[in-house]
Amino acid sequence: MLVPTLVGVTAIVFSLMHVSGDPIRLLFGPNVSEEKVLEKRAELGLDKPIYVQYWNWLSQVVQGNLGLSIHVQDRVGRLILDRVGPTLELTIPALILTVAIAIPAGIISAMRPYTIIDNVSRLIALFWVSMPYFWLGIMLMMVFGLRLRILPISGRGGPLWTLAGLKSAILPVLTLGLPPIALFTRLTRSAMLEVMSEDYIRTARSKGVRETIVVVHHGFRNALLPVVTLLGLRLPWLFGGAVITETVFAWPGMGRLLVNAVMERDYPVVQGVVLFIAVLTVVANLVVDFAYVFIDPRIRYS
Amino acid sequence: MNQLTLSRIVRKFTRNRLALVGLVFVAAVVLTALLAGVIAPYDPLAMNFDALLVSPSATHPMGTDMLGRDVLSRVLYGSRYALLIGMGVVVLQMVLGGILGLIAGFVGGVVDSLVMRMVDIVWSIPGLVLALALAGALGGGIWVMIIAIAVTGWGQFTRLVRGQVLSLRELDYITAAHAVGAPRRRILFRHVLPNTLGPVIVYTTLEMPTAILASAALSFLGVGAQPPTPEWGALIADGRGLVGFAWWVSTFPGLAIMITALGFNFVGDGLRDVLDPRFERRV
Repeated sequence: MLVPTLVGVTAIVFSLMHVSGDPIRLLFGPNVSEEKVLEKRAELGLDKPIYVQYWNWLSQVVQGNLGLSIHVQDRVGRLILDRVGPTLELTIPALILTVAIAIPAGIISAMRPYTIIDNVSRLIALFWVSMPYFWLGIMLMMVFGLRLRILPISGRGGPLWTLAGLKSAILPVLTLGLPPIALFTRLTRSAMLEVMSEDYIRTARSKGVRETIVVVHHGFRNALLPVVTLLGLRLPWLFGGAVITETVFAWPGMGRLLVNAVMERDYPVVQGVVLFIAVLTVVANLVVDFAYVFIDPRIRYS
Repeated sequence: MNQLTLSRIVRKFTRNRLALVGLVFVAAVVLTALLAGVIAPYDPLAMNFDALLVSPSATHPMGTDMLGRDVLSRVLYGSRYALLIGMGVVVLQMVLGGILGLIAGFVGGVVDSLVMRMVDIVWSIPGLVLALALAGALGGGIWVMIIAIAVTGWGQFTRLVRGQVLSLRELDYITAAHAVGAPRRRILFRHVLPNTLGPVIVYTTLEMPTAILASAALSFLGVGAQPPTPEWGALIADGRGLVGFAWWVSTFPGLAIMITALGFNFVGDGLRDVLDPRFERRV
């Protein structure tokens, strides 16, 4: 399951370089002699058949060698590793923010289905899924950074545990974490509604178990499975959102590295970042699969 | 779909107030796109160096940008790009993903596993990340962007259509068609395909705002519509550095995107209730 997916993903990433045109021309620009092109092509192994090239590239990648950046004289692996930290500084708090608000809100609206609160939350959810992330970021920047002047407009102030670092992370984390809240509230709600109509909930209530315990222990524990599944499916979007958020707030993460590399047509870097994010997503989904075993003891992997 | 069910669908849909509001929004955007040439007060590309960054007023209701272009006119013309790009993406995804799903579900076996593995692979790279890399590799521009978004986002259609086909295949009337010796192609196109339409229509409507938002994001990042094209994402990018003293340049195009996306989401939500009661609510 994992291996064929990774082979497919690497094949897509590998072909990105070839879709972008002749890498040699990218390297030297248009004014280069035919001789030099052929020489460099042989040197880089680009004269070999495509599957040999893929195999050579893949065997380098497996050893952790993602090649050299065209524009910055540095190894792609190094460039990416420098940027992973800042990206996680945004994505992890954003994910926590989303979950911390969405799950309680979803449980509450499931307790009062089809009332005004419920309908209003449906409306709000549709509002938020219609919002462009990058525009939200700019609006937040405008209000809190430029009008009220209480938070920095852009850039990373330092590590999260320093005050400047924390302050600079607030707006990007909100940009990344606020929009999915509404969606997850609705998902939690529908998962809860389904569970709360089960027989064992009625049994628990008739035994005289307190309502909070019924909801949290009997209800939510069983609603957790679909919620975690959708959270796993959501992870790719989180990285997509990070690309935009980092660009808006000039945050030195992988997303901004990717956007800059695309603009400069620095395809070894583009390949490296896309591959890294894809592998991260695949691994995250694997973690979600394993989390099932803890959530639901009936699930066993052989 | 006969006359009776159609009128029932229309009645049920019109009872949903949110869906009707959505329909009004969508109709307004479509009309704007059609009539942009008539209702726009200025040429969206005309620069006026005597009126740079003028704040909203009677002559320029949404102000002007850094080249003195009327923001309202640019936002109105932007609706054309949003709708055309959104439709282009959705149609491509529907054709590509739909055909693959139909084949996977109907043929089954190795073909099915192969197609679904392909879906899994594309699915495991964040759509926007791959679309950005691909659009950049192909050199950017509107058409490239449409293809990049479509190529990275067809998987959901395949899953949807395949699931439909698989459940339809087991139904009695399909067995009956097989029994009377109807050719496979006839069964596929006469009996299976029409019955997958409901969920596909719902999903297509809901995919429209997603495609519009994705294209705006790619244009914002610089690999989509190129200046001076008045595309909404590009308009927001134009005003990005000016929000400190010219808030109107970025704010209005963003609102336009929201209204459009909201309209399609409301309509899609309403259609889902009517056309496909079994379909899981996304929100």
